Amino acid sequence: MKMAFTLAWRLFKHEARRGELTIILLAIVLSVASVLSLSLFSERLQQALTDRSAEFIAADSQLRSRNPVDDAWIQEARNRGLGTAFQISTRSMVFAGDELALSDLRAVDENYPLKGNIKITQQAFGEGEVTQASPAPGEVWIDSRLYQLLGVEKGSQIEVGDATLTVTEILSEIPDAGFSVFNTDPMLLMSSTDVPATNITGPGSRVSYKYYFTGEANELDDYYEWLRPQLNREVHRWTSIEDDESPIGRSVARAEEYFLLASLLAIVLAAVSIAVAAQRYSQRHFDPVAIMKTLGASGAMVRKIYLMQICFITILGILIGVIAGYLIQQAVVTLLAGQVEVALNTWYWRPLGIAVFTGVVCALLFSLYPLLQLFSVPPLRVLRKDIQATLSSRALQFVFSGSAVFLLMWTYSQNLLISSILFASGIILVVSLLGMTYLLIMLGRKLGAGSMGAWTLAWARIRRRAMGNSVQLISFAITIMLLLVVLVMRNDMVKQWRDQLPEGTPNYFIANVTESQKEALKEHFTKNDVQYEKFYPVARGRFVAINEERIRTEITKEDEEVANEGRQGLGREANLSWSTELQRGNVIVEGQWHDDWQEGEPVPISVETEVASRLDIEMGDVLTFNIGSEVVSATVTSMREVDWQTLQPNFFFVLHPKAMENFSATYITSFHLDESRKNEISRIMAPFASVTLFDVDARINQLREIIDQVSMAVEFILVLVLVAGALVLIAQVQASMDERLQELAILRTLGLKGSSIRFSVINEFLIIGTVAGLMAALANEFSLYMLQTQVFQMPFGLHVEYWAIAPTVGAVVVGLLGAIGCWRLLSLNTGHLLRKMV
Amino acid sequence: MTKASTIIETKSLIKKVTTSEGELQILQPITFSVKQGESVAIIGASGSGKSTLLGLLAGLDEVSGGHIMLDGAPLHEMDEEARARVRGEKVGFIFQSFMLVQSLTALENIMLPAEIAGLDKPKQRAQEILKQVGLDHRAHHFPNQLSGGEQQRVAIARAFITNPKILFADEPTGNLDSSNSQKVEELLFKLNQESDTTLVLVTHDDELASRCERQLRMSAGELKEETQPLKVVAGGQNG
Repeated sequence: MKMAFTLAWRLFKHEARRGELTIILLAIVLSVASVLSLSLFSERLQQALTDRSAEFIAADSQLRSRNPVDDAWIQEARNRGLGTAFQISTRSMVFAGDELALSDLRAVDENYPLKGNIKITQQAFGEGEVTQASPAPGEVWIDSRLYQLLGVEKGSQIEVGDATLTVTEILSEIPDAGFSVFNTDPMLLMSSTDVPATNITGPGSRVSYKYYFTGEANELDDYYEWLRPQLNREVHRWTSIEDDESPIGRSVARAEEYFLLASLLAIVLAAVSIAVAAQRYSQRHFDPVAIMKTLGASGAMVRKIYLMQICFITILGILIGVIAGYLIQQAVVTLLAGQVEVALNTWYWRPLGIAVFTGVVCALLFSLYPLLQLFSVPPLRVLRKDIQATLSSRALQFVFSGSAVFLLMWTYSQNLLISSILFASGIILVVSLLGMTYLLIMLGRKLGAGSMGAWTLAWARIRRRAMGNSVQLISFAITIMLLLVVLVMRNDMVKQWRDQLPEGTPNYFIANVTESQKEALKEHFTKNDVQYEKFYPVARGRFVAINEERIRTEITKEDEEVANEGRQGLGREANLSWSTELQRGNVIVEGQWHDDWQEGEPVPISVETEVASRLDIEMGDVLTFNIGSEVVSATVTSMREVDWQTLQPNFFFVLHPKAMENFSATYITSFHLDESRKNEISRIMAPFASVTLFDVDARINQLREIIDQVSMAVEFILVLVLVAGALVLIAQVQASMDERLQELAILRTLGLKGSSIRFSVINEFLIIGTVAGLMAALANEFSLYMLQTQVFQMPFGLHVEYWAIAPTVGAVVVGLLGAIGCWRLLSLNTGHLLRKMV
Repeated sequence: MTKASTIIETKSLIKKVTTSEGELQILQPITFSVKQGESVAIIGASGSGKSTLLGLLAGLDEVSGGHIMLDGAPLHEMDEEARARVRGEKVGFIFQSFMLVQSLTALENIMLPAEIAGLDKPKQRAQEILKQVGLDHRAHHFPNQLSGGEQQRVAIARAFITNPKILFADEPTGNLDSSNSQKVEELLFKLNQESDTTLVLVTHDDELASRCERQLRMSAGELKEETQPLKVVAGGQNG
């Protein structure tokens, strides 16, 4: 053992010093560095985004309840070191002199909010400023609408229930206000210590209690595990940031999936480069192994020597990789400072663990087959150089490499679907490429015959080195495919995000517009150069029965608000709209849209698919609503999928106008007002004081900021993966150059002109690059189809442009790398070339 | 010096290989023996089977039939691991293309067989023998920093470090110019005589072959004892 160690160390030391290990070392460094930097950056970014998401629920987790919960629960949370805060909310009339208004009343303790900030403004509808304070006992902060409705000023007294409180601030924003255009009541924020004095939480009142928690994810999980058995599903609801179903939550979740995908691809790239490098390393050691065996070394000794060497290389690679990965990530974070928010001062052990694990698995599993080949080199090679390793089973190689890749992907992603999709794409690609290689060989047999031109030589070489070229072709194509997947996914995703918030996205919503105000308002907007959107009719209806069967009482507004914060609530109070025109972002998935309804047929209603599945509504069911004292029934004739990520009013139920012809509607619409004209809003809306105005600019800006940040992060990751891919391509060309050395030396010795040799090599690489690019484009479509439809829930379209781009780029890049490699070899004189062969 | 005992003995040794056109017998039944301390040259044209025979005699390859005894070890019955042990203990090698490990220095290349065989003080032994071949000043050079002649002298030093009973040399001067060939030849025979090693060498070079006590000629896979003295052209090589 000592002897094997001494020999292994000696070989390692010299080879490292002489640069013999550079390629395999670089491959390991690349795998570790890219995985570490990607996952470290991604975790830091995710932490920052999670923090941002946490702002939307004002905590890391929330417990909502219809009743006050046992104090012991909260005490337990504090004992566990969790931060806690509390909010009571209800709707209540507030009075200021003769004025009164129904308000969305929120009473909070001094810890609120645990995440995010309360914003106040100096004038109604003015710009919000962050405050660390919250209303003190006896104080009340009211939002701009309530401020206007009540006609109060700072210092005015208002009555909330039985208590009289003083208005001290104009409230601009609270973190967990939710984003709902139907959230029609203006908001009032007060101290929870004043609640008993108001007497608003007595029997019969509809009060909701929110308990906020913050702490480490595992602490929160433990606490939830402790709490869960005591929760009553009918009364309590636990919400975490992961449950965020808002457009922002979804964007963040999708970005996280993208990071995961990019990291997986980086792992595969690294694995490919290690496989290439290990193959090359193994081939370079055929002679030393044959020599050692000839000199009496046993198989076991050879195995020990080389396994130890691989261990040394792996350890060194991991060490350098970890340092490089950390530095790259740190450099990028510094570079992006101010543009992308990341949790800077955190060191995550998970990325380190993953990176080291990746390095070890890649180095060992990918070098296993080349090593087995190496061990099988017979000693007779010392007499006959043409004797290769006796082990040459491509199937074995594919099994080792395949299982290593799959193991890594699965371990890393914990996501069987993404791993399987990528893996299956890889297999399809490999099989197609093997077929393509076979065709090439057949083609080359014809084209390679004839006079000794550069193209003839190139084809002849492709044919002769069919097996070697097939491996090379596959690795090129996989590399190009992976780069394409990352690139196209990034383009599609960022485009979709940006489409969500185009320039001129409405930043104000108005509701409660009466029929008589509608035309006047349109005219007024036009006169004031305000771009407005469609007016949607709305009526509040109480959903009472499906097929005359009364709905269970537990389907309440509160339940639905809990489940669907960020979109309008559904409950027994539902917002009904009616139209013959299908809204943007709505897709009929079952039945037919009711635009050609005929008199005499049952009145149609279209239902959103998620609510349909939750309430067991099926096609043909008759739904009954109470609107005021009237009853409306309609038959379900279509199911709609709704894109909730569009910032426009969306409805669970859309009826045919015929059903609603006897009801007076109010309308909601939205409009965009430029940042520079924000101060005009009070003037513009002044003639329509009864109309309810919502300023969603802050929300849109938040969303836009997050999308910009995530897009930039995604771009960084794309660049990292591209760099990794480029390095892999270089390693591949480098490795294949060695194999061409002998032939180049012979051709050179025979007096063939350097330019002819160079052109033949470049042509060979051009052919390989083109084919690899073409196959990569094909496999890319398959992968993208699977990823976009199965994982990212995005619409899929063919990416025809890449059918041209990929082969062109493949040819250019691979050809160029081939030319550089060839230039390096041809710059050596023939004698040197021949010596290198020995 | 007595040459009593037989150190290499073959009986009806044959070698077959499988080709795309079927099985091909490349060695006809060969029976011969070599005595301890003898020097034997195997000569013959390219493709006559010289290197194949050398590979079998040295235990580098498996026999297809017949017997080989190497210093009492039945190579024909042994697997590769057992043959490796025999090679490590009894055999030294010199090759036409030197076959030095490129990533080890001259000294380390020479130490290699001693270390594999588990001999004491391999470095000291290597330094001594390196001095004997006149390359002590090149101890820490890598093979690609040495000339062909120097590389072959390192290879000779490596072959002798374990004091092998038998030395197999495959075209030891085939890659060298005449001046270096001369030096290497001298060194080879000097060390051979000093250490009473049996020398079996395969060569095209009749002059080199003529320095051996016996010459065996391979022709189309058959081995025959050369009875006529070889015609030697001074300073040249005979193909």
